Amino acid sequence: MANGYAGKILKINLTTKEISRLDTAQYEEFGGGTGIGAAIFWDLAVAPGDWDLQDAFDPKNVISLMTGPLAATGVPGAGRTSICGIAPETFPTPLFHRTGMGGRFGTMLKLAGWDGVVVQGRAERPVWINIINDKVTIEDAKSLWGLNTYETQGQILSMVGGRTRFGEEWHQIGDDYTTARPQIVCIGPVGESMTRVAALIHGSGVSARTGGFGGVFGSKNLKAISVMGTGSIQTADPKGIVDTRISHILGKGGAAAGTAACMPCVNSDRKRDSYYGGESMCADQYWFMGDLMKGADVAIKWGICTWATKFGGAMENKVVGAPALFKGRVPMEPGMGWYIKYLYELGVLGPGKKIESHPLPMDQWDKLSFREAFCDAIARKIGIGADLAEGTLEAAKRWGRLEEDLNSGALRFPAYGASWHHTLPGVDWAYSYILTSGDPMWHGLMGVSGGGGFGGGPSTYTAEQLVEMMAAKVVPFTGDPLMFSNSWKGEEARKTGIYSEHKAKLVAWARRYNEFYNESLSICEMMLPNFIGRSANSIAGPSPELEYSYYQAVTGNKKSLADTIEIGRKIWNMQRAIRVMAGRHRDNEKFAPFMHMPGATFMSLGSRPVYVDGKWSFENQDDMYLDKAGVEEFKTHFYKLEGWDASNGWPTRKTLDGLGMKKVADTMASRNKLGV
Amino acid sequence: MAEFTKAEGKKKVLRREFLTGSGVALAAGALAVSATESAAAVLTQTPAPTAKPSYEASTGYLVYDSRLCLGCQSCMFACSTTHEGVANPSLSRIQIIRDAPSFTKYPYDIVMSVCRQCVSPLCVQNCPTGACHVDAANGNVRRIDQSKCIGCKRCINSCPQRPHRTIWNSAKKKSTKCDLCADAPYWSQQGGPGGKQACVETCAAKALKLVKEAPSQLDVAGYDVNLAPPAKAFPKMAPKPAPKEGA
Repeated sequence: MANGYAGKILKINLTTKEISRLDTAQYEEFGGGTGIGAAIFWDLAVAPGDWDLQDAFDPKNVISLMTGPLAATGVPGAGRTSICGIAPETFPTPLFHRTGMGGRFGTMLKLAGWDGVVVQGRAERPVWINIINDKVTIEDAKSLWGLNTYETQGQILSMVGGRTRFGEEWHQIGDDYTTARPQIVCIGPVGESMTRVAALIHGSGVSARTGGFGGVFGSKNLKAISVMGTGSIQTADPKGIVDTRISHILGKGGAAAGTAACMPCVNSDRKRDSYYGGESMCADQYWFMGDLMKGADVAIKWGICTWATKFGGAMENKVVGAPALFKGRVPMEPGMGWYIKYLYELGVLGPGKKIESHPLPMDQWDKLSFREAFCDAIARKIGIGADLAEGTLEAAKRWGRLEEDLNSGALRFPAYGASWHHTLPGVDWAYSYILTSGDPMWHGLMGVSGGGGFGGGPSTYTAEQLVEMMAAKVVPFTGDPLMFSNSWKGEEARKTGIYSEHKAKLVAWARRYNEFYNESLSICEMMLPNFIGRSANSIAGPSPELEYSYYQAVTGNKKSLADTIEIGRKIWNMQRAIRVMAGRHRDNEKFAPFMHMPGATFMSLGSRPVYVDGKWSFENQDDMYLDKAGVEEFKTHFYKLEGWDASNGWPTRKTLDGLGMKKVADTMASRNKLGV
Repeated sequence: MAEFTKAEGKKKVLRREFLTGSGVALAAGALAVSATESAAAVLTQTPAPTAKPSYEASTGYLVYDSRLCLGCQSCMFACSTTHEGVANPSLSRIQIIRDAPSFTKYPYDIVMSVCRQCVSPLCVQNCPTGACHVDAANGNVRRIDQSKCIGCKRCINSCPQRPHRTIWNSAKKKSTKCDLCADAPYWSQQGGPGGKQACVETCAAKALKLVKEAPSQLDVAGYDVNLAPPAKAFPKMAPKPAPKEGA
């Protein structure tokens, strides 16, 4: 098998109870993670042609939990698990979506000898999957169904490794031994009842949040997957991995250190992590209630998606142009919890109001007991919970508020039911919303700003220095600093700014990099890329050379940096093909109305580089919003750049053939979905 | 958790921290004795040691701070990678054990299992072939000569620590143990008590350290020390701009 890979992928059909394996080698051209997950989805769910890809809860839906070749090799932040399939959370229809989670599940899966797990079908009754190295069994989950995620993991632990005293004994598996505990991903009651806002939970709070894949587990009667492994992963250059790791820790090039298991990460807090609900990142802040992890604890226990159901934001601020009725309290990333409070304060939601709030005690919205009632109502689909279980936008639609609140921005959901998340003024982020299936969850270019932002960096550089440094990094589009101009007004925006061909190149590069390095090699996107140097004498961060070095040391692959970005393009096109087969068209790729109105941008972190009248400068863009016609111009540029049909956004045969995806092109042609 | 004192000795001592101090092999919780045929033959011919010999003390010891550790396993991957050339935490001579998903609370959620390079090494004392030895050429670190190891597991069963610090390599049917990277074929730096250790160098939390003096052998406090988080453990984020009011 190739270096870095376990060599096989576990395939389980819960309908037929068939347990089989796929050779990883046949999918290695897609890197790993989401790349391989999407390729398998194509083979199992799209190519047969017996499913319209519309219902996420259909037994034909294929959900994959994949690792990348860097997992379980000691490369920091690379132990993540990439998850993809048709997601129930997207609006107005389920879409092909990918998400991911950190923790130790992916690392342990590799050590057990599997690059991923693919699940299709639906079990007759609740089951869980038990993986112990090569031994894989489908177990009865009757005693687990109805338990919360902590109880579920505790029960499985007692069944799989419970006789081994923690911290005192080695656990024997065949001839091998481990001191590790089984790693478990599971769902809570919110997932069991097939809501659209359920997460997959692992440990005390690691979760795959976006997409609502907890409901997909529920639809398959799959309560959990547990894994224990004691195997080895072969790598091409063991010395190189450790050397790169050490230079990474020492901050060569300004890199921040990461950790091998993707958790607890450098941004985390072990004291917090050992508490229920604590093993989490920013998403759960929206459920935190001051004292340790109260709030987040409730969400993780029930298995609800903390992201879709956010009660507030890390920051609240006045937003330029926002409606006065927001009273200056627009949260950065509002979700379901915030929205129902907003409607309550408007006087349209509450006991006896137009929108009946039973059984939620709205007057106790800020109490912990409310969070419990909220989860319970959604899990059991009682009262207002039946609407909320279908997601925020579907609930708003049922209440007759969708259009009005998408116009005002009270529903700050830019596209496909995904809530606002930075989004603007980083237009690469915003465009990725409409080109994918919602929030790209990629902070890679946030630091490309003046005066801080994600990644920080000295604010002593000029805009011109910044864009020239970045222009040298974006292989194969190097040498075009205008890719980084965020000019958004007038003719400049169309000529060199956010609606131009230059911006199309940046978005294309961002998608390719992200799909390969973060979604398929599964490197934590909060750790790498790191483009901005933190040292006083260097503006350039270690990316993308650092992650490329890790890739080479692990796999021994001779591909160039440009080649890896090209793999990203292939993964990107595979996902595009799936989305097109599920109905994606240029006409679908639109923003919600509020994105075209003042108030679209929340306070930005730092100022953006702009090129106006032949000069570079940094510009505060807190007032940015998008021009509809301009967005359409951008789409045309982008489709042409990608080799897609500009009239419908569908990949052409030439593009797919050029990527070695002839079979995909043939299938699309046979169903009249190929661009010309 | 600095130097062990009598006063601290009254603190609750976890079962795993308790040492028997005896040379008798401990059966409970250890690997089952399942010696190979060749090992069995040697064992029948080799009398058990009758007296406790003295050994030259190691000139290097790994100490750690279990409160500082992130539980990230970087040290474990570095250990197996530099020694065995493969990534496999089960082969790591340092074990960081994290109690997910039982949710034991901090600081008891992580147990750092590090070879103590014991002043009185029972693994050396009980080895029937001399494979497990005091390596005078490498600062007296306690090592297992793979060419002499017969896979009898005596070193494993006689290790007084819980979990035992000697490691079983099922592929090779031999035992291994921490050598402070004295013999790490995939380690590009000089190892051993006078050199650098892969686990120490790859620890982003700075929760591992090599010291020259033998820590107190009485209980875990001699090794689980305060390594005080450095003031700037990680680069600071640039200060965020102040929130802007209105336009």
